[in-house]
Amino acid sequence: MSMAQFRPADTVDFIVVGIGAAGGVMAKELATSGFKVVALEQGPWRHEKDFKHDEVAVMFRAGLTNDPRKQPNTFRKTAAEPAIKQQAVEYGRMVGGGSVHFTTNYWRFHPEDFHERSLVGAIPGADLRDWPITYDDLEPYYTKAEWDLGISGLGGSNPFDGPRSKPYPLPPMPVKSSGVLLERGAKKLGLHPFPAPLAILSQQYKGRAACIHCGYCEAFGCEVGAKSSTLAAVVPAAVKTGRCEIRPNSYVRKIEVGKDGRVNGAIYFDGGGKEVFQRAKAVVVCANGAETPRLLLMSKSNAFPQGLGNSNGNVGKYLMFDNGAFAFGLFEHPTNEYKSVVVTRVLHDYYRSDLKRGFYGGGGIDGRFDYYPAGFAVGGLPADSPQWGSDWKRDLAQHYTHISGSLGHVSSLAVEQNSISLDDQVKDAWGMPAIRVTYKSHPDDVKASDFIAERQKEILLAAGAKKVWVDQTTLGETTYSRHLMGSCRMGDDPKISVVNKWNRVHDVPNLFLVDGSSLVTCARQQPTATIQALAYRLADQLRQHRGASL
Amino acid sequence: MNISRREWMLTAACWREVLRAQSTQSNQFVWFNPATAAEIESIAAQIIPDDNTPGAKSAGVIWFIDRSLAGFDQDKQELYTRGLEETQAKRAGLFPGSTSIATLSGVQQVALLKAIEKTEFFQQVRLHTILGFFGQPIGSKFLGVEHQMHFEPPFGYYDAEVSR
Repeated sequence: MSMAQFRPADTVDFIVVGIGAAGGVMAKELATSGFKVVALEQGPWRHEKDFKHDEVAVMFRAGLTNDPRKQPNTFRKTAAEPAIKQQAVEYGRMVGGGSVHFTTNYWRFHPEDFHERSLVGAIPGADLRDWPITYDDLEPYYTKAEWDLGISGLGGSNPFDGPRSKPYPLPPMPVKSSGVLLERGAKKLGLHPFPAPLAILSQQYKGRAACIHCGYCEAFGCEVGAKSSTLAAVVPAAVKTGRCEIRPNSYVRKIEVGKDGRVNGAIYFDGGGKEVFQRAKAVVVCANGAETPRLLLMSKSNAFPQGLGNSNGNVGKYLMFDNGAFAFGLFEHPTNEYKSVVVTRVLHDYYRSDLKRGFYGGGGIDGRFDYYPAGFAVGGLPADSPQWGSDWKRDLAQHYTHISGSLGHVSSLAVEQNSISLDDQVKDAWGMPAIRVTYKSHPDDVKASDFIAERQKEILLAAGAKKVWVDQTTLGETTYSRHLMGSCRMGDDPKISVVNKWNRVHDVPNLFLVDGSSLVTCARQQPTATIQALAYRLADQLRQHRGASL
Repeated sequence: MNISRREWMLTAACWREVLRAQSTQSNQFVWFNPATAAEIESIAAQIIPDDNTPGAKSAGVIWFIDRSLAGFDQDKQELYTRGLEETQAKRAGLFPGSTSIATLSGVQQVALLKAIEKTEFFQQVRLHTILGFFGQPIGSKFLGVEHQMHFEPPFGYYDAEVSR
């Protein structure tokens, strides 16, 4: 069946704003449930044939991500400082969003992540809070996501994971040297490494081809559709229903509200810069943890002068960033980490918070060395080695194929002042106010990252590394993130949250948000599985209630 | 499709024109003038020297920098102009009587670059030089990367060791 085409004046059942990890799932699930859907994506609709192994374009020229030249953001650490133009948020800007270019770590949150506040108590300077839902509420939807999208892994292999109702649909990817070395070092230290759950097909699945180990996963789009992005895994099924129209290059600037206080559509700029008003009975915003609050704040009206969903001033607050350090080890023999997927072994032994350490937080560690050649030359060698000239050139060649390493994935606390707001001084290329990021890492986040980095070094040494170092730029306070979380928190109390436990905006009965912005805590990063489980759960509710108020 | 000999001749003539125009353009700088190109190229050649293996000069990195400054990195033009002026002033201070960076001895060039290596200008030339070299197959092959769309396990020594 060819793709549905709706006119702007047609009142469709749902508009989905942002076709990323969550939006792609929403589009497919709503359309297969019989709803008429217009899915709007600010970026282009690329396909396998459009993806290339071009490090300069992808890594250095925002080939697949938001381009700060067209969509600048401003940054400040605290509200007392002036905000300056400095890129702080990065996201996949295309149909499929971040699910197209992510590394594909697909961790479920642990059961205790949903009630960590009750376990560890209040943390000064932060607003650690329990979720209004439990792991058990989400478990069926983690399973649904894993089976619908195609996740490779070994169920039960992580002793710290919660219970699972089903194994993974596909076996783990073949182990790489980084996985073997993580496992070797970890086992010597009495730890519990396990095969990485990845959103990459280890075998053919649902008509999609298996991975061919080309090595260009992180930051790139998969040229053979083996990465289980929403682009490859579910958007085709949404289109096939004949009830879902995918509109790329459609940049939403406002969600409109009627006199009854309900949303009735969205205004967007089409590819030619022309404004279009699409009517709908309900809107689901999946634009990511930075663009979702921005869109709500831009959607001011007489009924909502502070922006949609913002009656209590919570939209944009409690932003959480990615956190964690890169550690490297130089090994005697070739690791050839440039081949195949990025991660094959993970450990969660230091995941839980233990206040006896003197700070809140913990982290997961995955084995990887994920530098592409130019990125490695720019900053991959230890800071004390030469950085240009013949000696540097020789060091690069001697190191590149002989490094293994690990990345820490570390807690980051919700802090009220850390936020997304509108910058009225700086506009994007469409004349809309830029995102203003205010972010200063909580001191415990820095301590937790330092602690995990020390564990990463221990493991690399135990694995036999001749030399170990940490990328110093990945330590200390965070000023940049690809994980954008917490800025429209979920909660039962409308005074301190933006969406309820069904991802519906407290203030607006037919407006739903599902993406990183809903997360109450960020666990230990790797939010994609949880974002997608929330999307499957919301879609299931909308199906059961036929879109009526929840 | 039938193509007459006349049409073929016309088409071929057109292509000759196009190719000639392209080859002329590829030998001319768009943003640099030849003198500034020689100065920047001598800096790039110290960042990634042609020693016993190819470096920035033989990889033609200067052309990548020129086209970047004329295109994607237009907003870096001012940094290049200002940075080069400051570097020339530094050169004149360090090596009185010298006339250009390109005509300094190698030892002098290294000393000059050490004196400016923390500047935004040097870091930008370094980044451009890296992208023009390591962002291309000539650089990644130098690092030991095989360019293939398909690899089979084992990928490295340690995974081969456990699979034995």
